[in-house]
Amino acid sequence: MLELNNLHARVVPEDGPSREILKGLSLSVPAGEVHAIMGPNGSGKSTLSYVLTGKHGYDVTSGSATFDGADLLSLEPEVRATKGLFLSFQYPLEIAGVPVMTFVRAAMNAQRKARGEPEVSAPEFLKLSKLAATKLRIDSDMLKRPLNVGFSGGEKKRLEIYQMLMLQPRFMILDETDSGLDIDALKVVAEGVNALRGAGRGMLVITHYQRLLDYIKPDRVHILSAGRIVKSGGPDLALELEKSGYDQFLKVD
Amino acid sequence: MDLADLPSRRTEAWKWSDLRAAMSSQESVLIGTGAMPAEGPIAALAEMLGDGYGPSALIVEAPGETFESRITEGDAGQYGSVIVKAGATATMIERIGVSGSRLRPFLPSYTRIEIEPGAALHRIIVQANSAPADERDAAIVLNEIVVKLGAGASFRQFVVAEGSRLTRIETSVTAAEGAVVEMNAVYLAAANRHVDLTSRVAHAAPGVHTRQLVRGVARKSGRGVFQGKFLVERAGQKTDAEMAHNALLLEEGAEVFAKPELEIYADDVACAHGNTAGQIDENAVFYLRQRGIPDIEARAMITRAFLLEALPNWMDEVVRGEVEARIDAWLGGAS
Repeated sequence: MLELNNLHARVVPEDGPSREILKGLSLSVPAGEVHAIMGPNGSGKSTLSYVLTGKHGYDVTSGSATFDGADLLSLEPEVRATKGLFLSFQYPLEIAGVPVMTFVRAAMNAQRKARGEPEVSAPEFLKLSKLAATKLRIDSDMLKRPLNVGFSGGEKKRLEIYQMLMLQPRFMILDETDSGLDIDALKVVAEGVNALRGAGRGMLVITHYQRLLDYIKPDRVHILSAGRIVKSGGPDLALELEKSGYDQFLKVD
Repeated sequence: MDLADLPSRRTEAWKWSDLRAAMSSQESVLIGTGAMPAEGPIAALAEMLGDGYGPSALIVEAPGETFESRITEGDAGQYGSVIVKAGATATMIERIGVSGSRLRPFLPSYTRIEIEPGAALHRIIVQANSAPADERDAAIVLNEIVVKLGAGASFRQFVVAEGSRLTRIETSVTAAEGAVVEMNAVYLAAANRHVDLTSRVAHAAPGVHTRQLVRGVARKSGRGVFQGKFLVERAGQKTDAEMAHNALLLEEGAEVFAKPELEIYADDVACAHGNTAGQIDENAVFYLRQRGIPDIEARAMITRAFLLEALPNWMDEVVRGEVEARIDAWLGGAS
């Protein structure tokens, strides 16, 4: 479903020199699978999520990324989203003055329009929203407030998963979704994520710690270090990491 | 009056809005002689171009009255006064329209307003410009009010302005004990448009409560000016005043000039001001695009929300709808 082949990418800051972060990353996530990416700080985890979703300020210098066999990297971010790519942000943005529900409905309709589908009706939208909110134990008042403004870290993460449930993406990238969550919130969020697991969907779970993977069980685990996958394995690899740390996998230059 | 009598950028209060330069192409409207009156150039021009019947006066005695006026190119200068009697409440809605027709495109208006103790006035200005975007219009819009606000009285104002060759909307308030002042505004400066919002609130007695929130946007070669001054006189103890001006520069080459000023002579006051001018947060734009909202719509959505925060909650739904429609049309059509 998602194929990355020898991907090299640089981060290009507005001020200062660009730096190569991804240095030949290859990865294949077949439909129906959940893959975890683990790695120490600075290994390129967030860069990977931004390169895949098309954020400004990241340059792919070589290699390829395809989604359902078609080139992903030449597409605008909104086109990638419409094709079903969803990023749960590590740091969700605050959007002043735009209520959560207004925003999600606009996003839903923009995607439907781009796919040539009819807009979601108000009753249908409310029904879907209620279902998603109940599942994630989100208070309905929160959905009327401006997006993420004044929300706690945990509330923001919950709201990312709410958006995910509403938009029903086909491929999800979860960037450190566990950070800022206590154990109860983590379970609720994981339940929401697991509800989207299925035959036609793929998922990339980026995390620092093994904890999240107790609740979102991956099919494969990859260790990212210095911009490359240095080891891949089954779910046990995460447990091994938790026990003995990253050092054994890090290449010494 | 001669061109030389008008303020130019060498005059501090007009340094970003050079009236003399703007008027140089319309020198023929300047008639009569004599020194500039103490009320200043807007009053002088409004009187000079008035209908010749002297100042008009409006006296409001009942509660809940609404007065609407419409000024378009070719109208005479407006020079008048309004008195809102004790216990009365009124809403004034002024619509100033510029169409780029170049038919005597000079619209000066000067109004002295007295709001008696306990009375309330709401004032809304919708200054629209329907001339084609990017086309240089010749209109000069000058609008000034001087408000004397009585004890316990309130003055609430909202301005939405799209500017012209030169537009200046000036508000001066002198507030007595326990009065309430609210002056919010939105400006939308498209290419070749100049919008100047200048205001001054004198807190001349104890316990005045003042809130001012101005939000503006400017595109390439559009220019926004905000000059806001809060003066707290020695008698203005327990003044509670907040001023904020925030602008978004939507394109390179957009200009915003701001001068927020606090001048405080009392020692027991709460006064704050904030002033920002910057670009739209690209990370926020990316967030919206990642959810499937196209770039142009994402920018419009963020900008719209930014501007709508300055709309006061006292505005009735119909007028609010009109203001939102202007903002939407501007965001959708002025690019």
